[in-house]
Amino acid sequence: MTDQTNDMTVPGSAIQEAALSWVLRLSRSTVGERDWIEFNAWLDAAEARRQAYDQAINLWSDYQAVASAPKVSRPARTWRRALGPGIAVAASVLVVLAATDAFAPTQVLTTQKGETRSFRLQDGTRIDLNASSSLKVKLGWRTRQVAMSDAEAVFDVAKDSRRPFVITAGDEKIRVVGTRFNVRRRDGVQSVTVERGRVEVASADHKTRVALIPGQRLDHHEGMGTAQVRAFDPEVAMSWRSGRLIYRNEPLSNVAADLTRLSGPTVRLADARTGDLTFSGVISAKDSQSGARVLGLLAPITVQETPSGLLLRRN
Amino acid sequence: MVSSQPSSTQLMDAYLERRPNLVRFFAARLGSVASAEDLTQDLYLKISAYEQSAEVDRPMALLYRIAANLMLDRLRHERRSILRDEEWHRILRTRLGEEDVDEAPAADDALGARQRLTQLMCALEALPPRMREAFTLHKLEGHSHAETARAMSISISAVEKHISGAMRHLLHWGS
Repeated sequence: MTDQTNDMTVPGSAIQEAALSWVLRLSRSTVGERDWIEFNAWLDAAEARRQAYDQAINLWSDYQAVASAPKVSRPARTWRRALGPGIAVAASVLVVLAATDAFAPTQVLTTQKGETRSFRLQDGTRIDLNASSSLKVKLGWRTRQVAMSDAEAVFDVAKDSRRPFVITAGDEKIRVVGTRFNVRRRDGVQSVTVERGRVEVASADHKTRVALIPGQRLDHHEGMGTAQVRAFDPEVAMSWRSGRLIYRNEPLSNVAADLTRLSGPTVRLADARTGDLTFSGVISAKDSQSGARVLGLLAPITVQETPSGLLLRRN
Repeated sequence: MVSSQPSSTQLMDAYLERRPNLVRFFAARLGSVASAEDLTQDLYLKISAYEQSAEVDRPMALLYRIAANLMLDRLRHERRSILRDEEWHRILRTRLGEEDVDEAPAADDALGARQRLTQLMCALEALPPRMREAFTLHKLEGHSHAETARAMSISISAVEKHISGAMRHLLHWGS
């Protein structure tokens, strides 16, 4: 009787209860075709059911891996064994990890040149993706992971302290709980600018680790052991979402790269002399053509139209 | 006269559509997602070889019957404990042999893995004793509900209550 009282001490949602019943029902030796048909009908009705079931069956499966660890029969003994040789523990639990997120699908979010898009993830996180960007998203049970290739995005991460949100951008890892920030990985440079909350940025080897607060920006050149942190207006970093490009002492090469990601012709620098210039100002542009024209008015450069695109040349 | 689609295609379509659910379904009985993935892979091979002309009335039902037979074969020919040991070694090898660039780096995995094992064990330790006993007998030692019921001198439905109670605790704990 006491066991049943204990039963009630842990609350579970109705869906979770149903999912657990299914795991139990399907684990019986009497399981049959009718269970299969009804199970499909139950699963098909709602994504939330599939999620709840996957969570339960993954845990079920996790304990199988624990049980399968050679010559383990009792949890108490497992415990002591497990803490013995560290290497064995590390190796064995890789399996657990692999099994646990087996159902978490990888989503690929991409935008074309000149296209910005908003995505809403299942956990409520919102990702605004700048043009010519690509991200991979995997919402697992224990972590939410994003792998960033060439991309810029504003993350508005839904708070879930049990499932940290980890963004891998090259050799940098960004870990957050619930916050809003801009991440940019372009041309070998990674930048993180925080608007709200706290963001932890670590090198992939975890040797360096920086906690950023709102109004700070971190810049890191891929492959180098250092990163710079400075005060930076998050509004500026996120300005691309409103179709404005705002710069403060930005190398012209970065400005050209941003313009190229808009629709229209490619924008390139004519020579290194031009690349030495920095630019401060606001460019409001729908396409690279009009953007380059505005840039031509604000910076000491000439814009030249060529068959292969627009060429910026220092005056 | 328009001939109907080849039956094997219907069956394959059903398989492809239902693959995730097949894994989900058989993972419960086999106790592991990895075993269910294996089974589903075997099922694919079976279905690929399925006779084109065979009449398929209800592809979903046929799919189930083929899969269920495969499952029974697995359960019959290998004792569960042996199966699990083999599975363990097999996964361990494949897992350690491959490299997934999108996953967290190894050092982080090892750390997370250790924490995860600790978590699983602590969660188990924290269960009410009878619940833990039922869960351990059934899930970790591979006894059926009936065997567990006999060992604990309780009814099968009480065993199931304990196990679902344990799962509820563990889910809660792990989250």
